Amino acid sequence: MDLLWQGLVNGILLGGLYSLMALGLALVWGVLNIVNLAHGAFIMLGGYACYYMFSGLGIDPFIALPVTMAALFVFGYLLQRHLINLVIRAPMFNTLLLTFGIDVVLTYSAQIAFSADFRTINPSYAGAHFTWLGATIPLVRMIACAIAIALTLLLWLFLARTRLGRAIRATAQNLVAARLYGVEPRSIYALTFGIGAALAGGAGALYGVVSQLNPYIGVSLTAKSFVIAIIGGLESPLGVIAGGLILGLVESMTSLYIGATYTDVASFGILVLVLIVRPTGLFGRTT
Amino acid sequence: MNRYLSRLSLAAALASACAAVSFAAPAGATITLGASVQMSGGLANTGRYYKDGYEFAIDQINKAGGIKVGGKQEQLALKILDNQSDNNLSVRQYTQLITSDKIGLLLGPFASDAVLATSSVAEKYEVPMIQGGGASDQIFSRGYKYIFGTLPVASKYFESTIDAMDHLTPAPKTAALLFADDAFDVAVADGTRKLLQKAGLKIVLDERYSSNASDFSSLLSRIKSAQPDAVLVSGHETEVLNFIRQAKSLGVSPHFYSFTVGVPSADFRKALGKDADYAFGMTSWLPSAAEKDPWFGDGDKFAAAWHQRFGYAPDYHAASAVADVEAYAKAIEAAGSTDPKKVRDAIAHLDFPSLYGRIHFDAVGQISLPQTVIQVQNGKVVPIYGATGFIGKAEYPMPAWSKR
Repeated sequence: MDLLWQGLVNGILLGGLYSLMALGLALVWGVLNIVNLAHGAFIMLGGYACYYMFSGLGIDPFIALPVTMAALFVFGYLLQRHLINLVIRAPMFNTLLLTFGIDVVLTYSAQIAFSADFRTINPSYAGAHFTWLGATIPLVRMIACAIAIALTLLLWLFLARTRLGRAIRATAQNLVAARLYGVEPRSIYALTFGIGAALAGGAGALYGVVSQLNPYIGVSLTAKSFVIAIIGGLESPLGVIAGGLILGLVESMTSLYIGATYTDVASFGILVLVLIVRPTGLFGRTT
Repeated sequence: MNRYLSRLSLAAALASACAAVSFAAPAGATITLGASVQMSGGLANTGRYYKDGYEFAIDQINKAGGIKVGGKQEQLALKILDNQSDNNLSVRQYTQLITSDKIGLLLGPFASDAVLATSSVAEKYEVPMIQGGGASDQIFSRGYKYIFGTLPVASKYFESTIDAMDHLTPAPKTAALLFADDAFDVAVADGTRKLLQKAGLKIVLDERYSSNASDFSSLLSRIKSAQPDAVLVSGHETEVLNFIRQAKSLGVSPHFYSFTVGVPSADFRKALGKDADYAFGMTSWLPSAAEKDPWFGDGDKFAAAWHQRFGYAPDYHAASAVADVEAYAKAIEAAGSTDPKKVRDAIAHLDFPSLYGRIHFDAVGQISLPQTVIQVQNGKVVPIYGATGFIGKAEYPMPAWSKR
């Protein structure tokens, strides 16, 4: 029983971080209809940005987090405006190719710039933990999970309440109508992509604190984000957070009761199941 | 007609490209060794030891005048390709090295999975491969004649550790065994399980996890509830780093934990800082002035020269890679030829001292070296237990994370 409770806590904390990882991918996918294969590389870059601010300048990783996100926002904005926008109306295959290419370039540039050494963002409190109702809760994971949920809610509010957020949703729902109402899709696209990159950067910073960084973490993180986006659907940030929590819990329970070697089988099994039962995602719009 | 012409010119271009490759290495003057190594991709971190090791050894041998083949001094050269940590690509690259580059002497890639796949290419073309990166028993249990390995056998990686555990007070009574699901780690686990049973330890958790797992919180929670005295982990460096960091954040501290990889490397200690302390590990090599070498003087001098050239300390992967090249140099001299079959027979009969230890392959082609138990103490790697018993004082039991 204790083990089950601890397993649930582990799963939820892991799931929170997972949802933040997937949030940017799902947003860009939903609005621009681009599956950004370089998403994991953005997470990796965010991790390194935070790592260098922490190890080089001694800035606390949670203070470096917004700076990292701002830097990644600018990077994502410019990348979309000047590169990805060129293929925005092209078939999906072209955008896949382009983002795959960006992923390769970023990954190998990272190896040249940062070397293949493993890096960890290791502040003095990285190992702190406390006990709550018999379960051990790692402090950093809890903060990471809380930040992830807070950012998701902020994004949800932004999309639902602000003028700009509505414009982004309108562009996703009906491009022609949005244009008739005076929305300029070019800047909306760049803005959305920038927000997606910023969220990835934030996830990378947190990932560096709870796990470790090397130039090659991107591919598996892209795959994970993809699974979460499919499970949660592209409709709303709240769906993504549910998708992340489901994946975290499934992995945690699998590792606890079936065997740690089967976590990938379980998570991709869920993906297949969702695609069969509800192809638009558990929380996506029903067609 | 136009299409025919373009095809013709393409064929001509291809032919001239092939000719360029075969003329690139002047016949007779140099002997080229071929390798496909992880210079990028997920294993690049360890792959560099092999690239650097092969190049360093070849330079050193050439500086000493090269090797004597049938009365003539010849130089060694290296054709090294980057397999991007992709085993399928590595198989294609070795095939290319043998068939189009006509290289008949191969050095291996890193890690058992890659060696398992690529050694089949060497065997098929009857070309020797000396490799210092694959230790899985599976590599040597297939009856292959052309594969030689300079890492000690995987199933015995924990042998000296379990011996040492028996001599600790209080001696651990229960153990947990965690291992990744690849060829090397499964072989380690199979061997370790038997060794633990023989030593009379109770295995309270025996769990296989997927390679490159980044979340160990569930496994650690199970360890916490099973409360083993000792935890033995066989995996990759990235997993070991995650394991230790997450053990700290979940407050899991067994009396003793040991890892097959990571502990000897400087990168590991740098990434973990003082959290690396108390971790046990093992190495088949430590720099020592007692290990004499025909080209580098001895193990200490080699380690110093390596550090000066590459800016980081060599570990057993590096020494193993250097030993592979030296084995070729000795075998080619003994065979008096570069004919792959003659060299292969000479390798099988090698017996010489090197900075890495005695190079002598057994009937299946693997070297036999004892694993020295090491522990990180105050950020330094300290040898604890070797073939002759204790050589250092173990810091045991490991204090709880909160009491450090």
